[in-house]
Amino acid sequence: MYGWRGRIGLLVPSINTTMETEFWRIAPEGVSVHCARIAGGRHGTPEELRSMENASKKAAEDVGMVEPDVVVYGCTSGSFFEGPEWNKKICEQLSQITKAPTVTTAGGMAACLTAGGHRKVDVVTPYVELTNERLKQFLKAHGIDVLKLGTFDMLDMFDHAKIQPDEIYRKVKETTTPEADAVFIACTQLRALEVVDMLERDLGKPVYSAVQASAWQAFEAMGVDPQITHCGSLLRRLSEPGARKSPALRRSA
Amino acid sequence: MKRIGLLVPSSNTTVEPEFYRALPREVTLHTARLYLTRIAPEAILKMIEDMETQAKLLASADVDVIVLGATAPSFLNGLGYDRELIQKLESATGRKATTTTTALVEAIRHFGAKRVVLGSAYDDRVNGIAKAFLEASGVEVIAMKGLSLVDNLVVGRLAADTAYDLAVEVSRADADAIVLACTNWRTMDAIERIERETGKPVITTTQASIWAALRAVGHTEPVTGYGRLLRELAPSKETRAA
Repeated sequence: MYGWRGRIGLLVPSINTTMETEFWRIAPEGVSVHCARIAGGRHGTPEELRSMENASKKAAEDVGMVEPDVVVYGCTSGSFFEGPEWNKKICEQLSQITKAPTVTTAGGMAACLTAGGHRKVDVVTPYVELTNERLKQFLKAHGIDVLKLGTFDMLDMFDHAKIQPDEIYRKVKETTTPEADAVFIACTQLRALEVVDMLERDLGKPVYSAVQASAWQAFEAMGVDPQITHCGSLLRRLSEPGARKSPALRRSA
Repeated sequence: MKRIGLLVPSSNTTVEPEFYRALPREVTLHTARLYLTRIAPEAILKMIEDMETQAKLLASADVDVIVLGATAPSFLNGLGYDRELIQKLESATGRKATTTTTALVEAIRHFGAKRVVLGSAYDDRVNGIAKAFLEASGVEVIAMKGLSLVDNLVVGRLAADTAYDLAVEVSRADADAIVLACTNWRTMDAIERIERETGKPVITTTQASIWAALRAVGHTEPVTGYGRLLRELAPSKETRAA
């Protein structure tokens, strides 16, 4: 069976064109990605972001059928917008439906920054002002300060995928300050995975992306080492001894 | 960059990995799921109700083509049913659409095959419907065998060897091609071996769906490792001469 080492149930906003592709790029031998789409519009308005919480339940029912080892709710703003409790509620709901541990992108963002001991970070997003404020509040609730935020300032979530990796590279470089411990690139629709490793090498500090942080949590939850060396230090760390939780029990053969 | 939108039965664990592996880097895959647990007519008709909603979600990702990547659902109601579904998908989304069954028949015609043998994961009931559909499409099914499976998750657990074994068993000297049906059945890794063993072109429902999707988005570079059909995506000098 495909996914004999681990099956990932991936929930993406229906307009997302980046995350499935990047997850497959990370997936090693024996790991498969099974996707379902969360209904919603293409504009990241507060109403849209809030409605995804409910719409994700239907997608979870569908992806639960593949008996996933982990479920990923793959949207940054869709998981931080109403704060940490809301994010937790999403995880619990989806775990109950799919019978699998659930991670979210916002949860992955907070977890990877916390695990790295980063208290002062710079952030790059494609979001509009209100959403950026909510992101800062979410991180603040986790004890993390955003020193500087660089944004592409676009409401249309579909268009976030049109931002080229080299534009993301330049935006990170012009945003980051010497005082920041790390940089986080938010939004699973941004093609950041292609430049995250070179950014770390060029800036000399940790740089994380939304898809990468989601994958990191998923692989940690599955107890699988993706053995991936060119997608940043976060994923590379999964290859270090003791970096992963004890291997999860497989649900089925 | 071109985008393929794929509708898969929710319990399918095979078709996404097989698409991903075969697709060239400049073509990406985007999936939506239709709730289905059993390969039985009643369950399938219910699944189709969900189809337009899910197709619209794919359209919101601006895919270039939508493929209903499910075999039995697209032949269930006989000749013309796949066209009906295509029309529904196209009018709901304004995108080009196709189905696995449509792709399968096109691939059989691509090889000019008149007589085929059919191997599938299905039970006799669903196999009978498949045979009737192919014969109504002008293709004679001269031998047929199924694995008698109804639980779709069980089909996904089968190794590709089962496709090889069944294909070699069902193959006949007077067949023009070997058809292997069910997108949740691992067939892609068996195709080259079966073609070498039998000397006949092998058409599997997943392979034909990939072939049709690539043609629909205008991709004409050959894809190797999965049989003649995908290798001949771009007409080579050799095939033009033949």
